[in-house]
Amino acid sequence: MRLGIPHDASLDGHFVDGAIGYLTITTGIAFAVLVVVLLVSLVLYRARAGRPHGTYMHGDRLGDRTLTMAIGLTLFLAVDVTLAVRASTNLRERFWRYPDDDPNALRVEVSARQWSWTFRTAGPDGRFATADDVVTLNELHVPTSRPIYFKLRSKDVVHSLYLPSFRTKIDAIPGSTTRLWIQAQEPGRYEIGCAQHCGVSHYKMRGWLIAAPDAEYNGWLARAEIDSRLRYETRDPTVPQADKVWDDGWDWETGL
Amino acid sequence: MTAPATPTGPVEGGDSASGKRASGDDGQPIQAIHAAPTGVLRRYVFSVDHKVIGRQFLFLGLIFLAVGGVMAMLIRWQLASPGRPVPVVGRLLFGGSGGVISPAAYTSLFTMHGTIMIFFAVTPILIGGFGNFCVPLLIGARDMAFPRLNMLSFWTMAASTATLTASFFVPLGSAQAGWTAYATLSTAIGAPGTGQTLWTVAVYLNGASSVMGAVNYITSVVRLRAPGMNYMRMPLTVWGFFLTSMLNALFVPVLGAAMVLLFFDRVFGTQFFVAGSTIRGGGDPILYQHLFWLFGHPEVYILILPAWGIVGDLLSFFARKPAFGYRVTVASLIAVVVLSCVVYGHHMFTTGMSPLLGESFMLLTMVISVPTALLFLNWLGTLWRGAARMTTPMLYCVGLVFTFGIGGLTGLWLADVVADMYLHDTFFVVGHFHLIMAAALLLATFAAVHFWFPKMFGRMMSERLGKLHFWPTFISLNLVFIGQMLIGYAGMQRRLYDPSAYDFLRHLLPWNKHISQAAYVLGAFQLVFVWNFFYSMKRGKPAPANPWQVGTLEWTVASPPPHHNFDHIPVVVRGPHELGHPAAIARGKDWLAQDEVIE
Repeated sequence: MRLGIPHDASLDGHFVDGAIGYLTITTGIAFAVLVVVLLVSLVLYRARAGRPHGTYMHGDRLGDRTLTMAIGLTLFLAVDVTLAVRASTNLRERFWRYPDDDPNALRVEVSARQWSWTFRTAGPDGRFATADDVVTLNELHVPTSRPIYFKLRSKDVVHSLYLPSFRTKIDAIPGSTTRLWIQAQEPGRYEIGCAQHCGVSHYKMRGWLIAAPDAEYNGWLARAEIDSRLRYETRDPTVPQADKVWDDGWDWETGL
Repeated sequence: MTAPATPTGPVEGGDSASGKRASGDDGQPIQAIHAAPTGVLRRYVFSVDHKVIGRQFLFLGLIFLAVGGVMAMLIRWQLASPGRPVPVVGRLLFGGSGGVISPAAYTSLFTMHGTIMIFFAVTPILIGGFGNFCVPLLIGARDMAFPRLNMLSFWTMAASTATLTASFFVPLGSAQAGWTAYATLSTAIGAPGTGQTLWTVAVYLNGASSVMGAVNYITSVVRLRAPGMNYMRMPLTVWGFFLTSMLNALFVPVLGAAMVLLFFDRVFGTQFFVAGSTIRGGGDPILYQHLFWLFGHPEVYILILPAWGIVGDLLSFFARKPAFGYRVTVASLIAVVVLSCVVYGHHMFTTGMSPLLGESFMLLTMVISVPTALLFLNWLGTLWRGAARMTTPMLYCVGLVFTFGIGGLTGLWLADVVADMYLHDTFFVVGHFHLIMAAALLLATFAAVHFWFPKMFGRMMSERLGKLHFWPTFISLNLVFIGQMLIGYAGMQRRLYDPSAYDFLRHLLPWNKHISQAAYVLGAFQLVFVWNFFYSMKRGKPAPANPWQVGTLEWTVASPPPHHNFDHIPVVVRGPHELGHPAAIARGKDWLAQDEVIE
């Protein structure tokens, strides 16, 4: 019976594992102390022949209050403040520092719908909504050497792009655009899930993120680019508007 | 009055009515708020007596607790044996699919399990049931401030349950958008059919009932306290219901607003929660989440505050020792109430909220751990140097301290934005909030039932059956919910019909099987409680006025109390936890009633 967190394939996932590790230790110690004191006081101070009633004390002397306050504040400083500072540092320096200015980042537009993920990357010309865009269903190919910058929208209900091997998730919400960035560290096939209940077939809304070294990724891209021209639809008048996955002119650079 | 020979159980014939008591209306005839009813209908059905209404809420809540519990068993069956027909009841419940729970039925099950447990089981049992029964008795009043509003509150709840029950029998079935009913899944986009609309109406009516109760409890505590019952002499139980009512009055209307807007979106085609498009303007699904959690996080405290109050009192009563740091405990409860208003954003970290909000909600959420830690320290301080009588109510309370310890501490994991990016919407969250909302609240409920049963029904519950219920319940509760946290840590999302659809979750199936086995044990042993409850009501030993030998006002009157509660309104001269008082020991007992005069 194996149990454990999925393999971490990401550049920054260790920050999450580090936070969880710190939480395990600190809350584990706090809980152990709680249980020990609870058991000791119940064993030592249970009603028995020589102990018919408890000691008459209200615990409201200055010393009692100071002691409880001191323990409470120590816990707060040792656990909460440390956690919050660690988390804020990680968020500001890594997770919330989006690679807006990084031309090397692979930009990926994600369109979520019941019950599938559609991914679009710009293709060799680096521009979205052109004929060389690469569009894939439930499968995303990325290189290991570049940051991956997602921008997500939803066609119908709220979904959540969940990447367990990258220790993160972000909601896809109708009417707004959310974003997320990750970087793969190891080549491999990693499962993509939906974390937000999105209807009857929520459990089927899954896909794969395939991380590969540059050369391999570029080889795939060349094949896919040719392939995806067949699916290019933005200005194809034969495709009804309602069936189009992408809106006209929804370009990464120009925003929404 | 002598100390009992076996001080570990309730006392036969123990009665505190022997002490001399002060009275606020000596010599006056009894002035009940309303006359005792004569007709059967007025006495048992459309009663305005808080004791009857409390029992009505209790029964209603217990029935729905059983319904929600059966749903939990079915959910566990599907997770342990995906796609296999449900034994025994499968053909009856899921005839159309050969006894197999379909994906639609599964989404319906977890949606209604959550809705029923929160709004139709725990709320009516703890707040409606024990709130109604306890508040007037514990503050020395003859009824609630507004008895008719109280009755309306119950019957609004009854209308709400009728609406919810009806939603199972409409085309396309009951609501399926989860108990949180996130838009746009809960709008016509994701949920056609009448079921979700009826759900919306039912939750609205349920909220209306809660607000009526809240107005009543607040007014009663402020206006109807017996002479001498100042705020610092109120039992912690009353503090719990008082503060809960404030949160109810403030935040349930927010849920009501969300339900009205959702109803409009569903029925009249408005777009409050439906995003616009290039051709038509619209609203924002995130607005729904803000409204829901602005209510939803205080809701956690709405439910847990009465439990904290009850445990604070009962630990003191059964440790035979005053509650440690009463004023710090009260201050902590108030601090939690204030903080609970400004932390709800931690439910929405993954919606891409602004970094400023994300960091603020993280820090504010973590600040709650300070008053909560003080509560724990005071509970431990109460037990320290006590003389604990391990009665069933006490066992449930100690069990609560344990499970709430795990549930509370794991809250920190989810408050941490970095850890939450991974853990959000996984079973870790499910295990965490079940440890609080299910385990801790149920243990508090059982403690309250065993403790006040003698006062409610005039008979004692069986201690032996109580212990036979406690131990398996306590152990299996923890196995189930800690197990859920572990598989959540392993990455399993919530609300998956069949987790084995995912490669990375397939190896968790044996874990899910074991968790389900523990859940079946948990479910089976609840029958012991049901038996104990109904058997004791008919055949239990007759209860003396004060079987637990404690000093709060409800134990100074007969079990069950007369219609008008108090022949004479008591004059309170001391706090609720005067156990081990030297003056009492000099009189051969170890507690003093709140209105007992020492000469």
